[in-house]
Amino acid sequence: MNPTYVRIELFRQSRDVGNLMFTVLMPVVMYLLFGNMFGGGGEPAGNGNVKFYVMASMAAYGAALATTSIAGTAATEAMLGWGRQIALTRMRPSGFVTSKLAVAMIVATGCAGLVFAVGAGTGARADSPWVWTASFLLTVLGSGIFALYGMGIGMAFKSETALGVASGGMVFFAFFGNVFMPLSGTMLEIARFTPMYGYAGLVRYPLTEGFGAGAGAAADTLGVLVANLVAWTLIFALFALWAVRRSRARR
Amino acid sequence: METTTEQQSATAPATGATALELKRVRKSFHTSEGRLEAVAGIDLSVGTGEIVAFLGPNGAGKTTTIDMMLGLTVPTSGTISVFGRTPRAAVEAGEISAVLQTGGLLRDLTVRETVTAIAALHGAKERIDTVMERTDIMSLAKRKVSKCSGGEQQRLKFALALLPDPRLLILDEPTAGMDVSARRSFWATMRQDAVAGRTVLFATHYLEEAQEFAERTVLIGAGRVLADGPTAQLREMTGGRVVSALLPTGRPTTPAVQALRAVDSVSSVRLTGQRVLVTGPDSDAAARMLLNELGATDLEITTPTLEAAFMALTGEES
Repeated sequence: MNPTYVRIELFRQSRDVGNLMFTVLMPVVMYLLFGNMFGGGGEPAGNGNVKFYVMASMAAYGAALATTSIAGTAATEAMLGWGRQIALTRMRPSGFVTSKLAVAMIVATGCAGLVFAVGAGTGARADSPWVWTASFLLTVLGSGIFALYGMGIGMAFKSETALGVASGGMVFFAFFGNVFMPLSGTMLEIARFTPMYGYAGLVRYPLTEGFGAGAGAAADTLGVLVANLVAWTLIFALFALWAVRRSRARR
Repeated sequence: METTTEQQSATAPATGATALELKRVRKSFHTSEGRLEAVAGIDLSVGTGEIVAFLGPNGAGKTTTIDMMLGLTVPTSGTISVFGRTPRAAVEAGEISAVLQTGGLLRDLTVRETVTAIAALHGAKERIDTVMERTDIMSLAKRKVSKCSGGEQQRLKFALALLPDPRLLILDEPTAGMDVSARRSFWATMRQDAVAGRTVLFATHYLEEAQEFAERTVLIGAGRVLADGPTAQLREMTGGRVVSALLPTGRPTTPAVQALRAVDSVSSVRLTGQRVLVTGPDSDAAARMLLNELGATDLEITTPTLEAAFMALTGEES
């Protein structure tokens, strides 16, 4: 990994206004919207309040969207021949991927940080600083698995449109992953198997300790959430690996 | 083809150590239509300080061969050494560098950002200003790559290639898609740099580029070396001169053609109407026979262009 390269990448990403609007501002706006809709009166929830619940969910969505879209650009860059240019330097392919992941994680941290900051300023409350810290760290670290997803989609389809579809798919994952609004009944049963369920559940775990927000929803154990996260990490990792191999063989 | 190999060893300039060596290099790909042999056994040795043109039509295997020289692709069989190292080790040591074919830049970076990013990866940040001045892109520093013309982008890629201060520079069709004036100014920049004692190998399908800038030309077609020698000799080794004359009317032309074919140094005889075209290394013999014995008139002797030589060797009909 090369610090100068990462810095230039960050500058470059920060100029992509369209992408920034979606990954940085959307989660903040959605927090303000849903936060006031469900927790406008400061209703308590678990070890904090409903606004904290919504804030953590939206931060997770934003962070995951950031890693998806940025990691996906690695594929479009390879398509443009930038990968060959890089291959003529001392940096190895693993270094390229690591640098990309670093950029994705930094942007994800910024994204989540902004939602948490706005949350802190607009009435999101938790019983102890420990809940804030744990929730934030889980948001940032867990978002890494969606980098695998973005990279896999990008490599498999090698087009900018595919990248748009990958980002769009995150809305779908977020909705069916119990992230945007609390699901219940059959929807919740299905949600337990979708990629964002484990991640978002873990991000909110310091607050909820597994209790669901939907009507009559059963509590999730830490094991169920971790199992979901691990399973999807494996699936995305295998998918990314397959896509990379396939794109190499095709050259 | 035998003669060209001999000529190579006889005429290769006596330069110092070997910069680049390819031994029986082959590369095949698996495609949907089966196995494709892109490079079918190339032997090549380039001494330090040489400027070599790699000339061939599209699909001849130029880019695949260059990719292997740079360690971007691994040969199916055979070995490549760059200053006695593997290509990848030479890249990491900054001894070999390249201007790749179209593409290879990020459109939303500025020119300076692009140079800085690649310089950082080479650990050569102190050379940023030097290479930008040498390739005349200082004035474009703040411009986005997407706003640069084809020629400007190519100069930027040239700057990137100079960052590690390589001893061997590979250029893969560096002027593809440029207009004539951009091409000239690119080569003018190139030449100033070549004086600095670098070894240069460039792929091209512009014959005049090989003629103008390379001392040695390697003709490549269908993944093989078809001819290899000093650019000036390439014409002669590819079939000599063409003697053209009008055969007298009122006499049968067939015996004349047969007589010409019988001359040892004649490789081909073509007849269109009364005009006969005789190709061969010894134009004098053919000319003498045409004028003295056959009574031909309006005789012309021409040296074929590199273009014609190229067509003859790659087996393409012009």
